[in-house]
Amino acid sequence: MSVEAGHAAHPPVAHQSSRVDARTLGMFLFIASEVMLFGSFFTAYFFVRVVNHQPWPPSPFHLPVFVAFVNTCILVTSSFTMHWALQSIKRGNRAGMQAGLTLTFLMGVTFLLTQLLEYARIGFTPHDQAFGTIFFCLTGLHGAHVFVGLTILAAMTTRAFRGHFSPEAHNGVEIGGIYWHFVDVMWIVVFTTVYIL
Amino acid sequence: MIGIQYVVTTIFFFLAAGLLAMLMRAELARPGMQFVGNQVFNELFSVHAALMIFLFIIPAFAGLGNFVIPLMIGAPDMAFPRLNALSFWLLPMAGLMMLSSFFVPGFGCGWTGYAPLCSTHQELGAVFFNMGVQWAGASSIMTALNFLVTIITMRAPGMTFWRMPLLVWANFTTSLLVVIATPFIAGSQFMTMFDHVMHTNFFNYEAHGYVLGYQHIFWFYSHPAVYIMMLPGFGIASEVISTFARKPIFGYRLMALSLMAILVLGFSVWAHHMFVSGMAPWLRVPMMVTSVVIAVPTGIKVFSWLATLWEGKLSFRTPMLFALGFVSMFVIGGLSGIYLAAVPIDIDVSDTYFVVAHIHYVLFGGSLFTIFAGIYYWFPKMTGRMYNEQLGKLHFWLTFIGFNATFFPMHYLGIQGMPRRVSDYAPRFADLNFFISIASFFLGASTLVFLYNMIVSWARGEPAPANPWRAMTIEWQVSSPPPVFNFDEVPQVVGGPYEYGVPGARHAVFGDRVAEEEEVRSR
Repeated sequence: MSVEAGHAAHPPVAHQSSRVDARTLGMFLFIASEVMLFGSFFTAYFFVRVVNHQPWPPSPFHLPVFVAFVNTCILVTSSFTMHWALQSIKRGNRAGMQAGLTLTFLMGVTFLLTQLLEYARIGFTPHDQAFGTIFFCLTGLHGAHVFVGLTILAAMTTRAFRGHFSPEAHNGVEIGGIYWHFVDVMWIVVFTTVYIL
Repeated sequence: MIGIQYVVTTIFFFLAAGLLAMLMRAELARPGMQFVGNQVFNELFSVHAALMIFLFIIPAFAGLGNFVIPLMIGAPDMAFPRLNALSFWLLPMAGLMMLSSFFVPGFGCGWTGYAPLCSTHQELGAVFFNMGVQWAGASSIMTALNFLVTIITMRAPGMTFWRMPLLVWANFTTSLLVVIATPFIAGSQFMTMFDHVMHTNFFNYEAHGYVLGYQHIFWFYSHPAVYIMMLPGFGIASEVISTFARKPIFGYRLMALSLMAILVLGFSVWAHHMFVSGMAPWLRVPMMVTSVVIAVPTGIKVFSWLATLWEGKLSFRTPMLFALGFVSMFVIGGLSGIYLAAVPIDIDVSDTYFVVAHIHYVLFGGSLFTIFAGIYYWFPKMTGRMYNEQLGKLHFWLTFIGFNATFFPMHYLGIQGMPRRVSDYAPRFADLNFFISIASFFLGASTLVFLYNMIVSWARGEPAPANPWRAMTIEWQVSSPPPVFNFDEVPQVVGGPYEYGVPGARHAVFGDRVAEEEEVRSR
C-alpha cells in the first residue's frame, strides 16, 4: 500500500448506518463538550456564590443589567434571522438567505462590541475578588464563542454571496446555524445566572 | 495510517516518561540525597505522570482504536480524516510542551496540579503543563468525537450494535466519557493558568475564591479519566481472550452493558480522591458507596473473562499472555482500590506508597499490559509482518516479574507509612527501596527487548498471513496490511463477532460470498 495512492484516490463512499448526518452529529457532540466546558466555569461560579455565600455583586460594584438585557435581545433576534436564512435556502430563496446571514452577522458583531464597551466601563476588573474573576471569565468565555461563531458566519455569508448552497445542499448553513443557536442559548443561561439571579 | 503514527509517537513518550521514572528510582535507591535536588525530583515525578497519562496511555488507546475501529465495523476510514490528522499533530506539541518544562523554572506540583500550590505559588513550568494538558485534551476530545460519529454512522450493512466487537463497544463508551468529562480538565487548567498569569481569584482564599473548587473540578474529569484509561483495555482484553481461548465471550451483552454502567457510575465518585482534603464531611460516605459499587460492573467483566477461559482451548501466544497478566494484575489493583475507597483506610494510607502501588497496578498492570497485548495482537495487521514469538514471550515474563518486584513491595512500604512524592526517606525503609530500585531497572531493561523485537520484526519479520490468529472479527478478513481504504468491497455482517466453535458461524462475508450465502439460506 503506497502513500501516494492514498492521496490520489478518494475514499469510497461508506455505508450509511444511521439516519443522522455525520457532520450534524459531529456538531452536536462538539456542542455537548462545549456545554461541559461552560459547566466547569459554572461550577466555579457555584462554589463562589453559593458555597462561599458571596454577595452578588459585592458592593460597591454594579452590573449594567439594562444594557445587558438590550444586548440579549439583539442576540436572540439574531437566532431568528439565522433560522430565516436556513428556511429561505431550503425554499430556494437565495436573496432571503443572504439577507438573513448578513443580518445575523451584523447583530453578532453589535453584541460583541457592546460587550467590549461594557467591559471598558464596568468599573471593576478580573482581579477584583472572585466575583470579578467569575464575571469576566464566564462572559469572556461566552464572548470567545461569539467570536468563533462570527468567524463561521463570515465564512457562511461569503459562500452565500459566491453562489454556494442550494435547496438540496445546505449543510453548511444548517450546521453553522446549530452552533450559532448554541451560542445564543448559552448566553441566555449566562445572562440569567450572572446578571439576573 | 494515523493509528500507526499515534502508536509510534506514544511509545516515544512512554520511553521518555519511563526514563524519568528510572531517574527517580536512582535517587530513591538510598536514603539521603544522591543525584537530584528536591525541586528536580518534584519535576521528575510530575512530568513522569503527566506524560504517561496524557501522552501515552490515553493516546495509545486512541491510536490502536484509530487503526482497528474502522476495520472492525467495516468502514473505509474514520468519519473526519482531516480532524483525525489534526488531533494526532496536537500530541507532539503537548508532549514537547511538558518535556520542555524542565528547561524553565520547572513544574513540580504533581500531575494533579492542585491550586493554590500550582496556581499562585508556582513557576513558569506549571503554565507549560497547563498548556500541554489543553493540547492533549483537545486532541482527545476530537478523536472521541470522531470515534463516536464513525461508530454511529459508518457501520457496514448488518453490523448492528449488538454485533459490534467489544473493543468497539469499549471505545464507544470511552469516547462518550471523553466528550463529557475532558472539558472539565480544560476548564480547571484554564482557571489555574488565569490565576497564575492574570492574577485572577478563582482559588484565592483572600479574595473569596473557593480553594477546594479546583479539586472538585479536576477530579470530576480525572476520575472518569481513570476509566478513559481502562475501558479500551477491557475491550482489547475481550478480543484477545476470546480469540486465544477459541470460545465465544461469556455474557457478551452484559459485558457491553457493564461498560455503560461504569460510564454512568464513573461520574459519581470523584470526591473519593478528596477524603483528606477538608471537603464537606457529609460527602464522604455517599462517595465511598458509589466507589465500591463500581466494583460490581468491573467484577462482571472479570468473571466473564474467567468464564470465557473456562474449558477453552487456550493458546499462550504473547498477546494472550499479556491479556492474562492484565486480568490477574488488574484484580490486585482493583482490590487495593476497594480498600482505598473505604474512608478509614484511605485516611490512614493517604499520600503513601500504598497509593503509588495501587495506581501502578491499575495503570501499569492494567492499561499498559493491555496496550502491549493490543500492539502484539495487531502488529501483523498493522505492519504486514510477524513479530518474533520467543522475544515476545521473553518480554512478557521480564515485564511481569519486573513489574511485580517493583510495585508489590510498595504496598508494604505504604502501610508502614512511607510518604509518596518525597526524594528522601527514613533509613528503616532503605532495604526495600534498594530492592525496588534494582527491580525497576530490570523492568526498564525489559522494554529494550520489546523495542528490539518491534523494530527488527517490522523491518525483517516474516510476512504475516491475513489471519494469523484465526480470529473472526472483520479486520482479519482483509489482507495484512489492509488495502488503502481498508476494504476492496464492503463486507456484509451476518452474525456475532465471537462465534468460535459454532459450526458454520460467520461474522462477515464479502462480495460474491454474499450471494452464495443468500443462496444457501434460501435452499
